[in-house]
Order: sequence, then structure tokens, then C-alpha cells
Amino acid sequence: MLDMPSTDTPLVQARGLGRNFPQRQGLLGRARDVWAVRDVSLSIARGETVGVVGESGCGKSTLGRMMLGLDTPTRGQMLFEGRDLASLAGAEKRRLSRRMQMVFQDPFGSLDPRRTIGAQIGDGLRIHQIVPRHDIRAEVARLLDQVGLPSAAAERRPHEFSGGQRQRIAVARALSTRPDYIVADEPVSALDVSIQAQVVNLLMDLRRDLDLAMLFISHDLHVVRHLCTRIVVMYLGRIVEEGPADKVFGAPAHPYTRALLSATPSLHPRDKDSLHGVLPGELPSPANPPSGCPFRTRCPVAEPQCAAAVPDFRTLAPGWKAACIKAGA
Amino acid sequence: MLRYIAYRSLVALFLVWLVVSLVFLLLHLIPGDPAELLLSQGSLAADPAAVAALRERMGLNDPLWRQYLDHLGGVLTGDLGTSFRDGAPVAEQIALRLPRTLEVIGAATLLAALLGVPLGTYAAVRAGGKADGLLSLLSSIALSTPVFVVGSVAILIFAQKLQWLPAGGFVSFSEDPVQHLKLLILPASAVAISLWAVITRMTRATVIEVLERDYVRTARAKGLSRAPILRRHVVRNAMIPVLTITGLEMGTLIGGTVLVEFVFNWPGLSGYLVSAVDARDYPEVVGIVIVISMLFVFLNLAVDVVNALLDPRISLVKS
Amino acid sequence: MTRTTRKLLLPGTLIGLILAVIVLAPVLPLHDVRAMDVPNRFAGPSAAHWLGQDEFGRDVLARLIWGGRASLFIAVGSALSAAVLGTLLGLLGGYFRGVVEALTVRASEVILCLPPLLLALLVVTILGAGTGPLMVALTLLYTPNYARVVYAATLQVRALDFVTAQMAMGAHPLAILWRTILPNVMPPLLVQMSLVVASAMMIESGLSFLGLGVVPPTPSWGLMIRAARGAMEVSPLLLLWPSLALAGTILIFNLLCDRLQAVLDPRNVTAGGALWLRKGPRRAALPAVPAATDGPLLAITDMAISVNTSERSLELVRRADVSVHSGETVALVGESGSGKTLTSLALMGLLPDQLGISRGQALFRGRDGRVTDLAQLDEDGFRRFRGAEISMVFQDAAAALNPVHRIGDQLAEALRDTGDAQEISRRVVDLLRHVGIPDPERRQRAYPHELSGGQRQRAMIALAVANAPRLLIADEPTTALDPTIQAQILHLFQKLKSDTPDMGLIFVTHDLAVVAEIADRVVVMYAGEVVESGPVAQVFARPRHPYTAALIASVPEGAADRLVAIPGTVPPPNAMPPGCRFAPRCAHALPACSAAPPGAERPDPARITRCIRWKEVT
Ligand SMILES: Nc1ncnc2c1ncn2[C@@H]1O[C@H](COP(=O)(O)OP(=O)(O)OP(=O)(O)O)[C@@H](O)[C@H]1O
Ligand code: SF4
Ligand code: SF4
Ligand SMILES: [Mg+2]
Repeated sequence: MLDMPSTDTPLVQARGLGRNFPQRQGLLGRARDVWAVRDVSLSIARGETVGVVGESGCGKSTLGRMMLGLDTPTRGQMLFEGRDLASLAGAEKRRLSRRMQMVFQDPFGSLDPRRTIGAQIGDGLRIHQIVPRHDIRAEVARLLDQVGLPSAAAERRPHEFSGGQRQRIAVARALSTRPDYIVADEPVSALDVSIQAQVVNLLMDLRRDLDLAMLFISHDLHVVRHLCTRIVVMYLGRIVEEGPADKVFGAPAHPYTRALLSATPSLHPRDKDSLHGVLPGELPSPANPPSGCPFRTRCPVAEPQCAAAVPDFRTLAPGWKAACIKAGA
Repeated sequence: MLRYIAYRSLVALFLVWLVVSLVFLLLHLIPGDPAELLLSQGSLAADPAAVAALRERMGLNDPLWRQYLDHLGGVLTGDLGTSFRDGAPVAEQIALRLPRTLEVIGAATLLAALLGVPLGTYAAVRAGGKADGLLSLLSSIALSTPVFVVGSVAILIFAQKLQWLPAGGFVSFSEDPVQHLKLLILPASAVAISLWAVITRMTRATVIEVLERDYVRTARAKGLSRAPILRRHVVRNAMIPVLTITGLEMGTLIGGTVLVEFVFNWPGLSGYLVSAVDARDYPEVVGIVIVISMLFVFLNLAVDVVNALLDPRISLVKS
Repeated sequence: MTRTTRKLLLPGTLIGLILAVIVLAPVLPLHDVRAMDVPNRFAGPSAAHWLGQDEFGRDVLARLIWGGRASLFIAVGSALSAAVLGTLLGLLGGYFRGVVEALTVRASEVILCLPPLLLALLVVTILGAGTGPLMVALTLLYTPNYARVVYAATLQVRALDFVTAQMAMGAHPLAILWRTILPNVMPPLLVQMSLVVASAMMIESGLSFLGLGVVPPTPSWGLMIRAARGAMEVSPLLLLWPSLALAGTILIFNLLCDRLQAVLDPRNVTAGGALWLRKGPRRAALPAVPAATDGPLLAITDMAISVNTSERSLELVRRADVSVHSGETVALVGESGSGKTLTSLALMGLLPDQLGISRGQALFRGRDGRVTDLAQLDEDGFRRFRGAEISMVFQDAAAALNPVHRIGDQLAEALRDTGDAQEISRRVVDLLRHVGIPDPERRQRAYPHELSGGQRQRAMIALAVANAPRLLIADEPTTALDPTIQAQILHLFQKLKSDTPDMGLIFVTHDLAVVAEIADRVVVMYAGEVVESGPVAQVFARPRHPYTAALIASVPEGAADRLVAIPGTVPPPNAMPPGCRFAPRCAHALPACSAAPPGAERPDPARITRCIRWKEVT
């Protein structure tokens, strides 16, 4: 393992990440494995925004937490600049956390209702001594300005702000430590469209101006397509397709990606019969996943051999791969 | 369901074992010799010979683990030792008195629930009204007045001034059923008052909460009329937490009727406990504590099981 | 703040008074509590002895005050020490979980296996009677209560994103506990504290009453009551004073607890009973509405919905104009808080109690051809229509189904003009099959929590269409669902429409794309007003209101690099701008826009817009 980051190591790298939440059945029952995430490998370079899409319960948030070191993977490694987060001691990890930040989904739960906005944004500045003590106020004002809020907002408490404003405050808080890498877990899902656009625009500006690496988790395909350079599609804890946004959305290779795209309503609806092609059934329980390809119970083109083994990734183009025996065929 | 009950029973057994061991430890690990403590009334030093004899009788000269095993074995076979005071088997005394205590608790709970549930529901439906205000005031007062105050005042009024009921005492049911019930009225009512307050308030709070639930709105949207909505969707759902609280309160009462029994001279288990504490009769105290905690633990178990029967969501969570 | 002070003023003052008296007891001109005066035993109140004298002729008032001192000292002292201990255990257990939890919270809970009074008795047996053992017993007794409360609150707070954010920020765990979690668990802690003081006084006085607590000659209320019992017939007042003091003090602490709870959880206070459960006065017969032979199924004109509190009346929805023809699907679209749900609930008579229709008409054409103004109906009047003629699919199916009844039973309950049990069961199974629930014979016996989200929504829909209503209102039926499940449910709605071609459908959503998929006409709401309506294709192709246009442009579907964001936010209902409510956020606003609310303009016979500049700017 390299000690110094070399130029060609990606900033963030997940290697075979897996997370098990064993569920015990009663006092004496055997623990049963429930894998929320399985065998996920993913890397993110500076300036790149990777979008993770999938339905609820497919392991998006667990992956996001592991990729920020908030949760320890059961299997695999999570590397930041080549260093394994699990191997770091408490103090060292806290120091490293300056460079990795998170934006959450719920605009009402992500800010402490009892403390002023200024105090909460200032936390990071104080903990990591980003600026001298007497400059904290000015820095908070600069951060608020960066997300389009007046500096007077620092004196107020969260309940005085709307959902979109809170989300922007949360972004300002994440930016306070001048991170290189941000995980945004459904940051716009709770917002109305008109407000959502404000936050999406802000994130686009930041990516451009700050050269951030970003993991953007969302179930809204339109937002992901708009914001991300690379897309990861997850199903039942596994990546089923990964590739450049225009490829994955333009010519989806995995049957699940295709189904997801056609299920997403559009302002310019295809003919009304398109809904007849809807995917039957529901997401299987992660406690009891199908053998072989996780998608085979709902896949319209499944074949007997899909049950044999988890399909390997097939590379369709450099940086574009799908885990389906029929991909690219 | 059966698995759930089995699991919860195991937990309950474990808790009982814990209590039995805890009581044993408490009595043996505290500084001071129980035998000496027992015999030294006031500031008078105990007679060393008597202490030695007592130590032998209590088995205090055996190694601790040996005493612990004896203790456990005794509990398992229902042998709780003999009283220091009169040498009577403790288990027999308990068997005689426990039903009397349970009778007071049962009568009180019945009374409290029969009055509390309807009144609480009424207060919830009329929340903010005059009747609600009055009930809230009454239940606050009921909740704040200690049972021995209620009991003493009740004796003053009903027994001494009005002379409607006897002031206290006990006659067994087989001897004189009418007198038995007459003697039961005051103690049961005194216990029922605070329990009534708890049930009324809990019912009111949960009914108000349930009334705001979406499924009540759904029931209205179906076109159901008031009575079935109230019965099937409001009270049915609100009863789950009310039952839990009632069960837990009954549990605290098992050890808490001490005061009532004292006030009304009701020769139940708790009164026996007080006199045992007073006399520092260890076998008696330990025996009673163990029996009461067992009842307490198993009552809580019963509450959980009833809850699981009433609320289909529970059995899934745990089993 | 004022509400808080007002609520806490009474218990606060009373507790202050009590504390002042007992703290000042040594300097007050009181009689000596031990000075006996046997000749005057049982003397009634007098100028020298305001509350009289007891069985030894001692001054009752002085004994009452000193007795309170002992009681409160023990109660408050043990409540505080238990609070410190329990909070520590609860915080650590809740934050670190795992082994720490077992060693702190779970360990302390062993104490809860003993009934409280029993535990106190046990401690007294071991340590002997007296103030010290009492405090030990009570501290031991209440520590697990605090630990539990704090543990639960910590778990709850810890799961909140702002705590996770602190962890992600690299804050030290102890700093997080101290700065973020402790202040947030303070409210339940305070409530618990006042509760424990009351309860500790209860137990202390009880033990003293039994002679196992405070040791004479120290005066205590429990002891005074014990003594007074012996002389009850001679001097009932002697029993009364300590009883009143004891019950009164406990009452005040309980009151404080109630008020604290009310202040800290305002949700509890607003609960105002259920008006719909009370039978109102019978209304006079409704004025007959002149009925044309054919017309829309539903015609809402200029409807307003207001809150009526004693202080003010506020229009949450106004100028609502919606019409639905039979067989037509009308989408009600708008951002959160625009009044979509209120408008739908009003049509079912299901508005929250403090809300009501304050203006306008909602004419509904029933199955028999008669026209009724829904705005005039009361609870009993609505019941005839609910389920049978108008029914509703609610947004959150998990909450809208009763968790303790089987799906089949809840469906059976909705069926009108039913036959025997077999007939009912057959219809239930048919309905479930109709909405696409697999294996309906078995599924009808399932409880709601045993179904997946999509299946619950299907069951909810089955409930709504059980009696083949003429008008179906669906309030965001797919919002909480995943894309593939949403597609299934939308497909189900299309199937229902083609199966029952006469049914009108009002589909509430905030998703414009869903509107495009399912609706024939669209009604756009903003800040409680209908701002535009018309056929879907026309409105999407050429919106005639700046808000509709901006809303469409903000959907991230185009190829544009930047989205069009609408600046600012929707104004809250109590601070609506005058005139056009969209003016503060509108790119085309002129001073004239704020002068008066724009009237309904018709760019086309089938369309309405409420913008004075629609001709120029759209
Ligand atoms: N019981 C109530 N008392 C006072 N105001 C209320 C009440 N219920 C709703 N409101 C207010 O009425 C307005 C409209 O609410 P409504 O629920 O109809 O909006 P909506 O369009 O359905 O929003 P959403 O998309 O979030 O469901 C909001 O401003 C809301 O705060
Ligand atoms: S591997 Fe088989 S089941 Fe899986 S997606 Fe491909 S075709 Fe479908
Ligand atoms: S009336 Fe004026 S402010 Fe309102 S939408 Fe039209 S142009 Fe904008
Ligand atoms: Mg709504």
C-alpha cells in the first residue's frame, strides 16, 4: 500500500464492500444474514460526480454511509487516498473527516433545532481550526454567501428557514471544512420541484468551482441524469450497471436499468400504452435473495441459466459495464 | 406466537433467577453479620453464644457458594425456610395471605377499569370541554393523594362519622360472605382511586391520539356511522396501551398494598412483609420478596403476551 | 415564550412559595417543634397556634413546615441524585450501544423487576430506618427510570441526521454527547424529574407512615398522619392538615409535570376532541339546487376553506374552481402546502375539525340525478355519499389502514348492501383480485403490516372502489412508492378507468410527469389558489400562467445545463401577499399585480388563468 497518494490513485475507492445486518430470531434462534450491500467496487476521482440510483431498500444509503466511514463494512475496504478507513484510529479518523463531508435527505432532521445556524456551520471551522478563532464569523458569512443566503442568517435558528434554505445551510456546513469529497444522500428528494432546482443548481456550481468528488444518491433518475457524470444502478445491494451517464440512460444495457427508465414518468409521455410494459412483482427481501442473478424473479428476459450464478460484469465500452448474461449480446 | 411466548417466558425465568440471586447477594454481601444484626435490638450488644447458635441455624457458617445453592434449591422446591419469629414455614404463611392481597388488587382493578375506560373515552371525545376539565382535575387529585391518606379519611367519614361500613379487619368469605365483602369495599376503593386516575388519563390520551390517526379518517371515508367507528377503530386500538399500563400498575400494586393493608388491618401478604421487616425476620422477608417479584415478572410477561394477541404487529417483530 | 411562561406561572409560583417557606423555616418566628404543652393537647386553632396543637400540645403549623422540609429534602435530593446517575447511564448506553448499553441501562433495569415499594422496604430492612437509607433507597429506585427515559431519547436523537452530521464533522463523541445530545434530551428529563419528586414524596411519606422512614422526633407528614389516626375522632383536623399539605404538594409537582409536558410537546395541547363524533343540531332541509339535465359530475365554484380559531379566521384555500365530468381524470397539481389535500378532503367532509368550507359551492350530481351542494352538508349528510358515491384513496396507505384488523375485514366493513357471510367473502376476494393482489383468498387474512407498500396501496384502492363510486379522489397515491411500483399503480388506475368508464377521477399529485401520464385535464394550484386549469396537452404545450410555466421549466428533464429555479419560497398562509400571491416570486410582476387578486381569464373556452398579464408574457 502506498503511503503517499500518487496521481493515478482515485481519491475515493471502494473495494468489494459488503455490509451485513444479521437479524437474530429470538434469544436462541440463529442469526440470519441480511446483506444490505454486497460486493460493491467503485471509485471516484476529483471533480467527478457519481450518481447512485435504485429503489428504496436497495442499499443506497448504507453504501453512502460506508463510503464516508460512518459505517464499517463487513467485507471489503474503503480507501481514501489509498488509506483504509477501517484501519485508522479514532483521532486520526476524526482528523481525516475534515476532507469528507455529508449532506442528508431530511431538511428538518439535518440541523440541530436548538442551535443557531452560525454555531452549526462554525463547528467544523472550530474542530479542524480551518480559520483563526476571530475570523470564524467572517468565514461563516462567506459560506452562507456561497450557498446564496444572507449573512444575517447566522444568528437565526433552523425553524425560521424553509426546506430548500435548510438544505443549502446543510451544504454550507458540509463545505465549511473545505472537503475534497462529499456524499449527498437524497439531498433534494424532500423538496418541491421549484426548490429542488435551486439546490441542484447550487451543487452543479460547486462541483465546477471547487473540483469536488461527489457521491450523489437519489431515486430520481431525472435529477441524477442532470447532475452526474457517471451512474451506478443498484438492485438488491449489488451494482447491476455502471457507466457514463449518457450511455447508461441513452442505451441501458441491463434489463433492470431499462425497466427503471421506462417506469419513470416523463413530461413528454410515450404513448399511453407504455405503462403496459411495467415490471411485475416487487423487490425481493434482502434476507432471502434469489439465487444467481438478483433480478431474475422480475426480469422480462430471464432464462433458466440466470439462476445458476451471479452474473459477472461484462464490459460494453471502457468504463461501462453491466452484470447480465445478455448485456451487450 | 408460541415461539414468542416461549421466548418471553425464558426471559421472565431469567429475571426471576436474577432477582433471587440479587436478594441473596444483598443480604450476604452487605457489611455486618445478619445474625448479630438480628439479635442486637437497639444499642444492646448481642449475646455471642446466641449469635453463634443463630449462625449455625441460618447456615451462615457454610461457604458462600454452598449457601447460594441451598438458597436456589429451596426456592426451586418451594421451600422458603422457616420464620425466625415463630418457626412457622414461610411458604405456608405466604400461601395463606397471598390470595387476600390479590383479592384487593383484583377488585380494585375491576372497579378502576370499569369506571376509567368509559370516562376516559368520554373525556377524549369532549376534550377541552367542561366535563373533560372536571375529570382532569379529579384525576389529578386522585393521583396526588397517597393511598394511606385516602384510607384514613375514608375511615373517618364512612366508618366513624356515617357508620356505613366497618373500619377494618378481615373475615373469610366462607365464614360470612356479606361481612367479607363489606370489609373489602373500603380497601379496594382506596386502591382503586389512583388506579382509576391512571386508567382515565391513559384512556383519554390514547383515544385522542387514535382519533387523529389516518385509519379513523379512512373509517369515516367508508361511510361508517359513529358507533362502529368508535368501537372497532378507536377504542379497540386505544385499549392496547391502556391494558399495558393497567397491567404494569397492577404489578406495582402487588408490592404496594402494604399501606392499605396496614390502614384497614387487612391481613394480606404486604402487611406480613412490614411486620417481617420490622422484626428483621430474614427468611420471611426474602421469601415474600421472591414471591412478589415472581408475580411481578410473570404479570409483566402476561401483559406482553396479551399485547401480542391484541396487536398483530408485535409477534412479527420479535419472533 | 409567553405561552410557556403563562403555563408554568402557576405551578412555578406555588413551588417557589413552598420552597421559600421551608428554606426559611429556621428564621421564621415558629414555635419549637418539640415544645410540648400537654394540658393544651388537641387544642383547636388559636392566635398563638394558627393550626392548633397536637396530641402532645405541640404547634401543628411549625411541625407541618419542618415536616415538609424533611419530605422535600429527601424527595428532591434523591430525585436529583437519581437524575444525575440515570442520565449518565442512559446517555452512555444510548450513544455507544452494545456492551456499554448492557452494562448501564440494562443492568439498572434489573431493579425494575422489583415493585418500587418493595425495593424501598428491602433497603430499609438492610440499612435500617432513617433519612439516609431512605435517600439511598429512592435514588436506587428512580435511577432506572431516568436511565430508560434518557436512553430512549438519546436513541431517538442519535438517529437524527444532525447528530450523524456531527460525527461526520469529526467532533469528539463526548463533545457530541454534551453539546448536541444532552440539550435535546433535556425536555423529557425535566418532565421525568417533576414526576419523580412527586412519586418520591409518595413513597417517603408512606414509609414514614409505616414507621419505617423518617425517625421521630424529626417531624414528617407521614408520621403526623400516623399519629393523627389514633386521635381521629377527637380531633379530625389533625388528620386534615398534614393530609392536605402532602396531597397538595404532590398535586403541585404533578401539575408542573403536566404543564411541562404540554409546553414541551405542543402537539398535545391542540387536540381539541372530535367534533364529528358529536351529534350536531339537525340542519334544516337543504335548499333544492336547480338541476340541469346534464352537466358535470362535480362543479366547484369559488370555494374557500378557512381555519376558525377564536382569534382569527384565515383562508387556507380560496377561489377554488374545479369541475369534473363523468369519465374524466382531472389532476390537481401544486407544490407542498398549496391546498390540494384540503380541497380533496373538503369534498368528503373530512376536513380537520377546526377547518371548514367558508364560501362557494361544490355541486355534485348523484347516482339518482339529484344535485347536492357538498358545501352545505353536515356529518350525517356526508355519510350517505361517502364510499357509495364519492370515495378517496389516501396518500399514506400504511397509516390509512387500521393495523389491528385484517385486510379482508376492513374491506368487508366498507361494502354497502351486503348479503350473507359467504357473499361478503366472495366480494372481498373479487375486489382484491380486481386490484391485482396475488392470491387474494389468503391475502384477505393478512394484516396491513404483512403486505408490501405497493400491495397496501392496492388494498387501499380496493377499499375506495368497493362500492363503484361515481367520483374517486386519489391524494398522491404513488408519491411514497418506488418508480417500478408507481408504474404498477398508475397502470392499475388506468385499468380501473377503462373498467368503469363513467367514474370521474381527481388525481392529486405534485409530480408534473405523473400528470402528463394519467390526466385529461389539469388544475394547477399555488398558495391555496387555483391559478390555471385546462386540458393537459394544451397546458403543457403552452402554459398561460407564469407559475405553470416556471414549474414546467424547473423539471430536470430538458437538455438545459441549468434548471430554471423559482426564487424564494411559497408564502406561509398567515403572510399571504395582497393581490396576486405569486407576485413576490414572479419574473413578470408589475405593481398592478399586487393591487388586487387577478380574476379568472379565459384564453380559450376550456381554460382558465389567473394572471393579469397572461396575454403578454405567455
Ligand atoms: N388543520 C390545519 N390547521 C391549520 N392549517 C392547516 C391545517 N391543515 C392544513 N393547513 C394548511 O393549509 C395549507 C394547505 O394544506 P394542504 O395539506 O391542503 O396542502 P397540499 O397541497 O396537500 O400539500 P402536500 O403536497 O404537502 O400534501 C397549508 O399551508 C397547511 O399548512
Ligand atoms: S442475468 Fe438473466 S435474469 Fe439477470 S438481468 Fe440478465 S437476463 Fe435478466
Ligand atoms: S398577475 Fe402578475 S405577478 Fe401574478 S403571475 Fe401574472 S404577472 Fe406574475
Ligand atoms: Mg397533501
